[in-house]
Amino acid sequence: MRSQTVTLVMLAGAGAAAFGLARLDPSQDEESVLVYANADACIAGTRRTEEDCRSEYLTARAAYPEVAPRYATVTDCEAHHGPSHCLPGDGVAVSAAGRFVPRMAGYVIGRRIDQNLPPQPIFDHAPNSEASHSGSAGHSGGAGYCTSWGGRITTSSGGASSSARVASSAVRKVAYGGFGSTGRSFSSHGWSSHGSGG
Amino acid sequence: MRRVPIGERPDWRETARRHGFTFHTFDGEAYWSESHAYAFKLAEIEDDLEAPSTEIHALCLAFVADAVEDERILASLDIPSHAWDAIRASWRRGDPSLYGRLDFSYGGASAGPAKLLEYNADTPTALYESGVFQWLWLEEGLRTGSLPETADQFNSLHEKLIARFRTLRGDGAMAFTAYAVEPEDRGTVAYLEDCARQAGLATCFLDLSDIGRDEDGRFVDRVDAPIPRLFKLYPWEWAFSDAFGKDLGTTTTRFIEPPWKAVLSNKGLLAHLHAREPGHPNLLPSFFENDSRKASLGTSFVKKPLVSREGANILMLRDGAVLAQDHGPYGGGRYVQQALAELPDFDGRRPVIGSWIVGDEPAGLCVRESAGPITGNSALFVPHFIEPG
Repeated sequence: MRSQTVTLVMLAGAGAAAFGLARLDPSQDEESVLVYANADACIAGTRRTEEDCRSEYLTARAAYPEVAPRYATVTDCEAHHGPSHCLPGDGVAVSAAGRFVPRMAGYVIGRRIDQNLPPQPIFDHAPNSEASHSGSAGHSGGAGYCTSWGGRITTSSGGASSSARVASSAVRKVAYGGFGSTGRSFSSHGWSSHGSGG
Repeated sequence: MRRVPIGERPDWRETARRHGFTFHTFDGEAYWSESHAYAFKLAEIEDDLEAPSTEIHALCLAFVADAVEDERILASLDIPSHAWDAIRASWRRGDPSLYGRLDFSYGGASAGPAKLLEYNADTPTALYESGVFQWLWLEEGLRTGSLPETADQFNSLHEKLIARFRTLRGDGAMAFTAYAVEPEDRGTVAYLEDCARQAGLATCFLDLSDIGRDEDGRFVDRVDAPIPRLFKLYPWEWAFSDAFGKDLGTTTTRFIEPPWKAVLSNKGLLAHLHAREPGHPNLLPSFFENDSRKASLGTSFVKKPLVSREGANILMLRDGAVLAQDHGPYGGGRYVQQALAELPDFDGRRPVIGSWIVGDEPAGLCVRESAGPITGNSALFVPHFIEPG
């Protein structure tokens, strides 16, 4: 009931092994990050090459003017980021003119390069601030930082170059793993299945 | 319709390997089985399966048109209300469907009309083996003489899929997603991606876990690039329950199958179709469990969860006695009861007929064969041919 022969361009002679099924961990709920005040602190930490430290810092520094949160008044800004941690936006970016933005306190990177976490600027988070950015979770007090969208980072030592375990959503603007868990819940209950199809 | 011994090709596993058929065996158990085949007369295919498939698919589309505008229907299907907007919008926009598979109980012209068991309209598998490996089996059988020289097959899946994808060119790349670690799912999606490329689309594969949601609520890939179109071999009812399910109403990503397919890939469809077309020769009387009219089914019926896969949680009664029962993980929801249409018995084997729809047209056949009355995940794929005369 058809005239043509079957032609396959990808599957022929291949099999699943050819599809490069490298999987990323779907449960990236938490990850290890490093926080540095600047490239020199990173170099002193010796976890990255000097070259990586400089380029990652520059990436974060370059992102800062556009991603820094904007506030209508210096009071609002300081409520989030602490006294004397804020600047008039005019000197930071055209798009921040007439507003106030926090100073860049440092930057955050993944503990391992293969985490593929983009380097990004972080800001001081006022210890006693009850105010929060949209989406930020409650905080436990003590010295801490936040990302441009309010993700909280609390370092272990409170110093300017230290490591932390953070919620993935604190450092990743994009959430992954939001599809697939319902199906996995069926297979994890001992149901032997070929997959999602029928 | 007959079950005919053919004999295995001694080298079919090597042929399978060369053609990328990676899931012909599961956990050491055969899935592809070619020692026998089912032979049909042309009239059985054209009159008893192809024509009813066209007609039932059309009835289904008419039902969707009503269902999306009637929240009582959507609620009757246990579809969560947060998904209604996405379903409605996808239908009103005319989001195209790609394919589906109608499953029939059918035992040949002498055994009466084919009876619809369900519409696997959202995530059907058995596609590659129907469209490609079954066809290669026919061609080789014709060459070697193991099949009659005028034998044919009801199978235009491959070119219809490519033709359907051709109508979907021009709206940017299409991503394909499934559980990458499930060989059957991965193989099915790889085949569809192959067809899409042959139709001229730019494609890529994403594991389900590689789909992200950015701060604007857009679905993005691992480099945060928005996904304009996504083929997903992942059932809508699962997606609705997932963390991202609540974002489906606002996303600009277009899905294949579209959300409106959730209305069809639901056993509640059977009760609604019966209510709309009572007495239709291919539709079995079916009722929701809370419908007192279910008493008209008497003591022989099949109880099915609204959503389940691979025969899970199905209870089959004949004259009040349990004929078969599956204990699966889908028992928590609502059920329909459908009049009993037992699968025919050929040498103690029970074939179920899968009738493929691509776009809105019938596109071929697959036969899956079980030892018991319920077609579960241990069913074998058995090829078919149309015999002369």
